[in-house]
Amino acid sequence: MLMMLIAGIAVLAFISASAMFLIWWERKVSAHIQSRFGPMRVGWHGVLQPIADAVKLLLKEDIRPAEADKLVWWLAPFFAVVPPVMAFAAIPFGKSLIPKDLNVGILYIMAISSVCVIGIFMAGWGSNNKYSLLGGMRSAAQIVSYEIPMILSMITVVMHANSLSMQKIVEAQSRHWNILHPNMLLAALVYTIAATAEVNRAPFDIPEAESELVAGFHTEYSGMKFAMFFIGEYTNLFIIAAISTTLFFGGWHGPFLPPVVWFLSKTYLCIFIWMWVRWTFPRARVDQLMAFAWKVLTPIAFVNLAITGWLLLK
Amino acid sequence: MSGLIQVLNNSLLSQDAVIKATFYPIAFLTLFFAFLVVMSRSIFHSVIYLAFTLIGIAGIYLYLDAEFLAIVQVLIYVGAIVTLFIFTIMLTTQADTEPIRGTVRRMWAGALAGFAIFLILSKVITMTTWHIGLPEAAFVNLRELGRSLMSKYALPFEVISLISLAALVGVIVIGRGRKR
Repeated sequence: MLMMLIAGIAVLAFISASAMFLIWWERKVSAHIQSRFGPMRVGWHGVLQPIADAVKLLLKEDIRPAEADKLVWWLAPFFAVVPPVMAFAAIPFGKSLIPKDLNVGILYIMAISSVCVIGIFMAGWGSNNKYSLLGGMRSAAQIVSYEIPMILSMITVVMHANSLSMQKIVEAQSRHWNILHPNMLLAALVYTIAATAEVNRAPFDIPEAESELVAGFHTEYSGMKFAMFFIGEYTNLFIIAAISTTLFFGGWHGPFLPPVVWFLSKTYLCIFIWMWVRWTFPRARVDQLMAFAWKVLTPIAFVNLAITGWLLLK
Repeated sequence: MSGLIQVLNNSLLSQDAVIKATFYPIAFLTLFFAFLVVMSRSIFHSVIYLAFTLIGIAGIYLYLDAEFLAIVQVLIYVGAIVTLFIFTIMLTTQADTEPIRGTVRRMWAGALAGFAIFLILSKVITMTTWHIGLPEAAFVNLRELGRSLMSKYALPFEVISLISLAALVGVIVIGRGRKR
């Protein structure tokens, strides 16, 4: 039990460090893609910028809209942070470096991350602002739709590994990574696209489309509550990258270097690709987005699932 | 230091103590939120309380060693059904402007329905013979669960999917409105 407490503290420390690093990195990547430097003043190439920002957000006044639904408005940021933090319980960082190797690990992550959408809805509703509400609605519609192809592509991997446990899925890839199978490659593609929509990143960042909705569901939040949405967003990004590493890129497997190093470098490479995509593609339209989820991605995921099943039973 | 760890592991943080210390708060909170679902004047608040209640029930499943059931509870009920409820509320009513007002007749109807469910459940609970302390082998294996769904319970499973399909078609027909 004590070990579990220590693991919990370690995970929390890692999450805040990782979120800060990712925020800095995102700003740097976006800047260099747009031929700028990004933050340069605080520390070496601005590495301490997130800390300065965090201090600023901590000291900022917490403004509550007069007509807000107090309870819902206050609770929403917790729904944004708690589920991604809980998902860490089943992320395999190394051979024995996993907070808890549940035998239904991947299902647990799916379940926990499906709770996030309620928080976004609560934020949109509680703010009592039409832009927030529209952002919340769009986000919920998007997450619910993209969850289906995402889970279907995860199931493809589960069928291959013959287990729902994250560690077993990694162990099944000791010879070669899942991505080398053609049908897994398709699953990985579907997963990547669906996961991009799931964390509301461009080209699927409809819920917070600045030009239409100010900032979507977190328009009315300031100070630490806004920071919580931010941390939640970047923790989610880490989670989806960690899942894609585990499911498709062999998890912590790799030669020479220790497993943790392999796992983290693969994960951060995946995150880099997501950032690259965010800053190079334009935003999709709402109707395109929904049509794409239901008419393209879901059928592909279903057909892929059926083919995988047939190949395994053959 | 190692002595302290020993003490912590043996008394304060032992599996047993943690289970005892957490079960009653979780059970109480589940009931409390269930009460709030019924008592809340705002329909949106009710749905949020319902989400908490369902998460609490998932917690209770964990105490019964039914990991799979707990996770499915969160995935289906909290992740899907509560979201669907919220959608329905937002698309149908002006939930923020009209608080729910209970009438005396509604109160009686509710009390009657609640009492009937209470009777049925207490009958079922008293009729069942309870095995306390199941042997290891009795834990539901995921593999077994899948196999029995595909063999022994294939027909009920298919019937349920047919009902879902019918509901889906019905919703689309209603949602599309009349053809012009």
